Amino acid sequence: MFHRSELQLNRDTARRFIPLMVAAMVYLATLALAGAVVVGATVDRWSEGLRGTLTVQLPGGRGDASVAETAARTDTAVSLLLETAGIATAQPVPASDLESLLEPWLGKGNLPADLPVPVLIDVTLDPGARIDLVALQRNLAGVVPGARVSDNGVYLERLVRLARSVQLVAGVVMLLVALAAVAIIVFATRAGLSMHRETIELLHLIGARDAYIARQFVTNALWHGLLGGIIGVVLAAATVAALGVIAGEVALPVAGLRLPEQLSISLVLWLAGGLLIPVVAGLVAMGTARLTVMRTLRQVL
Amino acid sequence: MRANLAVQHSGERNGVVRFENVGVRYGSGPEILRDISFELEGGSFHFLTGPSGAGKTSLLKLMYLAQRPTRGLVRLFGRDVTVLKRPELPPLRRRIGVVFQDFRLINHLTALENVALPLRIAGAKKEQIEAHVTELLSWVGLSGQVNAKPPTLSDGEKQRVAIARAVIGRPSLLLADEPTGNIDLDQGLRILRLFEELNKIGTTVVIATHDRSLVSTFRRPELRLQGGDLTLHRPAPTGVDRLRRVDPLPGA
Ligand SMILES: Nc1ncnc2c1ncn2[C@@H]1O[C@H](COP(=O)(O)OP(=O)(O)O)[C@@H](O)[C@H]1O
Ligand SMILES: [Mg+2]
Repeated sequence: MFHRSELQLNRDTARRFIPLMVAAMVYLATLALAGAVVVGATVDRWSEGLRGTLTVQLPGGRGDASVAETAARTDTAVSLLLETAGIATAQPVPASDLESLLEPWLGKGNLPADLPVPVLIDVTLDPGARIDLVALQRNLAGVVPGARVSDNGVYLERLVRLARSVQLVAGVVMLLVALAAVAIIVFATRAGLSMHRETIELLHLIGARDAYIARQFVTNALWHGLLGGIIGVVLAAATVAALGVIAGEVALPVAGLRLPEQLSISLVLWLAGGLLIPVVAGLVAMGTARLTVMRTLRQVL
Repeated sequence: MRANLAVQHSGERNGVVRFENVGVRYGSGPEILRDISFELEGGSFHFLTGPSGAGKTSLLKLMYLAQRPTRGLVRLFGRDVTVLKRPELPPLRRRIGVVFQDFRLINHLTALENVALPLRIAGAKKEQIEAHVTELLSWVGLSGQVNAKPPTLSDGEKQRVAIARAVIGRPSLLLADEPTGNIDLDQGLRILRLFEELNKIGTTVVIATHDRSLVSTFRRPELRLQGGDLTLHRPAPTGVDRLRRVDPLPGA
């Protein structure tokens, strides 16, 4: 005996939708969070690969006769680059690599001999070095007309900016979803208070404190938050895992975005999140319910 | 008629209940209670009578803090209820036992759990509660219904559960709203004797009733509500026409 609560909130059929709503919210928030994490990891890898690199492009020669000339111009450019302060390495991209890059468009072995394939030179900088790109461009064009320097940093910067925007949007989504979840709990708690108004008045009249009444809502909300959190996280994990499988099979044509690898890297993160998110959902629901009850009851005698 | 009437001819300044020029109206309707002034001394026993709709329940609600007066001053245990802070309400309410006219039992709790509720809310230990509650339930003749839930009980049985819940905490002030309305005379008398027992050990008792036979059997002072006014009537020393005798009011 004495284990039954006076309000029996868990028997209210209208309240059964709460864990489902919380689950939906947690699902969306978790997906947004996972998206932010994946984008973050991808950007980190891009940054590592691209930071401190330049690409120099030389105009390609036409026909067999130009092979020797092209090689000479490449050597000139490479030696100029290596003499420049702050440059660590300068490595021409092998012609076979360039051909394989063009393969998707032209087909294997269909490369016309007289196609003016440009020469690309991968340049890496000394760690922390800053290069005057305008001066380098001018010097290079002086020895090899038509040479162009492209700074991968600019490209990277744009990508990073894009990634940060995506993460910001994910953050906003999580915030909105959390607010919506809080609103649901507030609404459901108020509905419960009004539905059980008579019992609550009785409890007050026989000497119950607001906290005594709040406790029943808080226990109920904690349970709903935990349950909804667990369901939401499990569904989100399943969704991301399914995305990973699909991405693995289809091999996303987006440079650097290899989903399954990043997911396994963040396995620890998933485990931590899987435990943490339901707990956070439960605590938020609890706090919201308590605050709502205490504030609402302050208005009754 | 509306002047202060000091119940129980006592000079004590602060009784358990003290009303001064209290008025109650619901919404923009007429005043149900007008300029009610009286004082109940600790340990007193009163009937509260009046026709249906006279305002008996409204008056009791003021006393058990379910309602604030529209105007006037209500003091309970020497405290002005209009200036009480929220945390001060529960301790005060725990000193007041109420038998509600409509019982207000919780349907999914057993008779035992319903009666135990005030003790549970006050934080008493389970072991202490159970023996105490079982004993009281058997006293009101419900030893066979300890684990029954209100929907399976008759109105008379529900009323006795409600009475047991009101007295379980040994309140300083016991307010009963038509506590014998649904039980036969024998049981009614038994319940009234329980209230008298509590009164003997110091509980101040107010019983709202329209049952004249109760009032004439238990020769106790009667607070009579009519047309929004309250008057005090004392039983005559002899039983013959005591109900027609009205005490002269001090200052009236
Ligand atoms: N909550 C309320 N709202 C409006 N009118 C009420 C309310 N409670 C009681 N009344 C009115 O006040 C009058 C007195 O009611 P009540 O105190 O219940 O009298 P009694 O208990 O003597 O029958 C009645 O006319 C009733 O209709
Ligand atoms: Mg009434």
